[in-house]
Amino acid sequence: MTASVKKTPPAPLEYFRRWPLRAWMVVVTVFLYGPLLSLMVFSFNDSKANVVWRGFTLKYYEKAFNNSSLIEAFGNSLTIAFFSTLISVVVGAMAAIVLWRFRFAGKSLFNAGLAIPIVVPEICMGVGMLVFFAKVMPWPQDLPWPLNLGAIIIAHVSFSFPFVAVVVRARLASFNREQEEAAKDLGASDFRALMDVVVPHVQPSLIAGALLAFTLSLDDFVITFFTAGPDTVTFPVKVYSMVRFSVTPEVNAASTILIVVTVLLTFLALKFQGSSALTAGHDGGAAEKK
Amino acid sequence: MSANGFNKSRRSLLAATGAAAIGISFGGLSACSQGKKAAAGAEEPKLNFYNWDTYIAENTLGDFEKASGIKVSMTNFATNDELFAKMKTGKTGYDVIVPSNDFVTQLAQANLLLPLDKAKLPNFKNIDPGVMSPDYDPDRKYSVPYTWLTLGLGYRKSKMPKGFVPDSWKYVFDSDMFKGRIALLSESGDLVRLGAKYLGYSVNAVTPEVVAQVEAMLKKQKPNIKAFHSDNGQDMLIAGDVDLVIEYNGDMMQAIADDKDKDLAYIVPKEGTQLNADCLCIPVDAPRPDNAHKFLNYIMEPQVGAQIAEFIGYATPNLAAKALTSPEYQNNPNIFPPADVMAKCEYAAFQGAEKAQLYDAAMTRVKA
Amino acid sequence: MEQSWRQAKSMFAAMLSVPLFWLVVFFMVPLGIVWLYSFGENRGLVDIAFTGTWSNYARALEWDNLAIFLKSIGIAAITTALCLVIGFPVALAITFAPEKVKPWLLLLIMLPFWTNLLIRTYALIAVLREQGYINMGYHWGFDIVNGLTGGALGEFHALPLMYNNFAVVFGLVFVNLPFMILPLYSTLDRLDRSLLEASLDLGAGHIRTLFNVVVPMAGAGIASGILITFIPALGSYLTPDLLGGADALMIANVIEAQFKRANNWPFGAALSFLLVYMTFIAIAVQGLIERKPAGSRS
Repeated sequence: MTASVKKTPPAPLEYFRRWPLRAWMVVVTVFLYGPLLSLMVFSFNDSKANVVWRGFTLKYYEKAFNNSSLIEAFGNSLTIAFFSTLISVVVGAMAAIVLWRFRFAGKSLFNAGLAIPIVVPEICMGVGMLVFFAKVMPWPQDLPWPLNLGAIIIAHVSFSFPFVAVVVRARLASFNREQEEAAKDLGASDFRALMDVVVPHVQPSLIAGALLAFTLSLDDFVITFFTAGPDTVTFPVKVYSMVRFSVTPEVNAASTILIVVTVLLTFLALKFQGSSALTAGHDGGAAEKK
Repeated sequence: MSANGFNKSRRSLLAATGAAAIGISFGGLSACSQGKKAAAGAEEPKLNFYNWDTYIAENTLGDFEKASGIKVSMTNFATNDELFAKMKTGKTGYDVIVPSNDFVTQLAQANLLLPLDKAKLPNFKNIDPGVMSPDYDPDRKYSVPYTWLTLGLGYRKSKMPKGFVPDSWKYVFDSDMFKGRIALLSESGDLVRLGAKYLGYSVNAVTPEVVAQVEAMLKKQKPNIKAFHSDNGQDMLIAGDVDLVIEYNGDMMQAIADDKDKDLAYIVPKEGTQLNADCLCIPVDAPRPDNAHKFLNYIMEPQVGAQIAEFIGYATPNLAAKALTSPEYQNNPNIFPPADVMAKCEYAAFQGAEKAQLYDAAMTRVKA
Repeated sequence: MEQSWRQAKSMFAAMLSVPLFWLVVFFMVPLGIVWLYSFGENRGLVDIAFTGTWSNYARALEWDNLAIFLKSIGIAAITTALCLVIGFPVALAITFAPEKVKPWLLLLIMLPFWTNLLIRTYALIAVLREQGYINMGYHWGFDIVNGLTGGALGEFHALPLMYNNFAVVFGLVFVNLPFMILPLYSTLDRLDRSLLEASLDLGAGHIRTLFNVVVPMAGAGIASGILITFIPALGSYLTPDLLGGADALMIANVIEAQFKRANNWPFGAALSFLLVYMTFIAIAVQGLIERKPAGSRS
């Protein structure tokens, strides 16, 4: 970190330009991506056993694409993740703002309540959801898609939105309340001041929270397993039942497709929303600091 | 668990049949709708089938739809425990499930299974009379037998001493001969029962004292054990992480079929082993019990049963179906063990929740 | 800082109602059922009677189970510490990266986690196992050195990377790293950079600035990062199940077995809630520690 300053030294705070940090980024990237790349490579392996390279083939992609239940599970997973993220970000941000802004009786209780979903073992929550949707609030079986996914979406929001709240709150801690006051002095309503001043400030954490919620939803197996019915199988649940017996390249192929699809979707979303929107949020933050 | 390469040509034939079937159902819409009319009755032509992964022939569900007009939607579970945990609260929406023998008893005792209407299942006549009234389900009140399987030892021949065959449970339970090269099943009930079998007890005579004995034996053996695997022992064997594993015959058969070096083998130890049988059952609150009966009866058709048996590579209790299979299948000792071995094998009975908890507590202490 | 709810009643009500409703109806009620189970007893195979018994907790506190608890806490703590050490420089680098690059770097960190956990864990097995990529590389290097020196290194032995506690920790770090990086980034990104510049101008080195200025100011982010990493690590069961050796049993594996294999939901519920109570105590303690310096600062 005490990087020897080079001939054209980076500015004092341009840590990203310093080689030790860059090297570290590379190491971490290899750590995170190495295993996944090997998985992708082996999806082209012409052998059922996933160990030794036996030659190139596309047959497992053909198999995965012809596996209609796998495709359906795929679609279910993405749909659930989308709705769950949307709701989680809104609900989580609301919770964070309430906790940050107001003093009220039972606040610490509410705060503690929000921590429970993060703390509870998944299996315990899964069983809770199983009993809840079987006995307390039965979710109708034969609803049209995507309404039949409602129970799973509800369960996913329950464990995702507290994570969003944690991330947004950490960001709010730095917010200078005087700005909001200033906005209100200038005649903005409470709500306007919130939307125009506070929300832009927390935008990076909203994005971070959304990424987190999306990931949690897409990845969850245990709680989904207990909530899923005959028509609402998700990708992890499907894959789990497939790999329990043996990991075939078909599973690798399906995962590769999932990675590619999510990467594409994210890139499209960022392009569509404009990464300028992202940076605008950051610029606002930077301006405020100066 | 899917393909068993010992019969590749037959499989591709089956696949072709399946493709043809799809072509027919697309081409001959009128025939299809006729089928639907016949099947309609009071229930919608639909069926939710909860099965193990790749545990049915690829064309079976399509053929059934063609024959009856009922569309089967199949989803998968991975262990009996998961199946039971989900069934426990009811209202799952499944019409047909595939529990193993002891779980048939457990589900039946919990009043979670629908008694079968034998009048709707004439194809019971195809089933081996010897399994028509097993201990786990007297008089087949709740279950249609689907397959049966053995637990045994999978091993890598080149890693054994010359001419050596691991023909005893001793080598996994009570010997440091393969130190750090063995993997045991993590399923506590199966493992404790197999340990008892090695110690000379019946798998159904496991008293708390026997459990304590098995626990002590496994604690002593623990330094020699590489891992407890969750039903993926054949993968560990293929990858060369271990040389000796406890596995189901079907899983090992698939590994052996895929092994280009012909270096893997499977054996049922001389002490005998525990048998398992997977059965088709109907949950008590199944939304479409009528369709479920039609499906069960269809599965017991000789031709259908034969296709499934050869495709998944497990032993079939359907004698009429077995008669239609290839000699390679019928004479495979890994699928149908010889009579002298079978004489020492037994089914494990369900002995109550307390017993399961006892086994689990013992295994928790071993693994801690 | 805070405002009494009375000063903006309608907004307070609007902002609180939705999260509160969700938390109570879709979380507290399902969980409450399981909580009641922890005071119940099995009646037959399916029914559970609420008898108000403490026997499940008594059993959960027996030494056998406590030992597994302690071991799990140890493994989760090591995992969290490693995540912090590995993740902090990454968060720092992202914070000070050019604005245009930032979202892509964040994405880079998150992308691997859109692969199913099970698949990722299996991918790790292929890297770590005896004939995995690391050992293959090691073997290759080993043979070269041996060839050059005429067998000075002796016989090749594969590194024992799989089926032991090392593999479990490695896997947990692999799986949980972004949970650490995201909150760290979120706080570091809002640091007042002029303070850092001031520190550097006044002659403190980068390392000193880091520990004396950045770390104290990023306290909240570090705390939430630790919390958000430690808890899932403590509750993980797939990783120890697949990567661990003969002694790889973490508390979540025991809990899972109660809900499935042993079919003993009351005991599983008691074990789960013991975990919940313990984490609550930890959060409370952490809150007390945090409150003091924060209060003195403002």
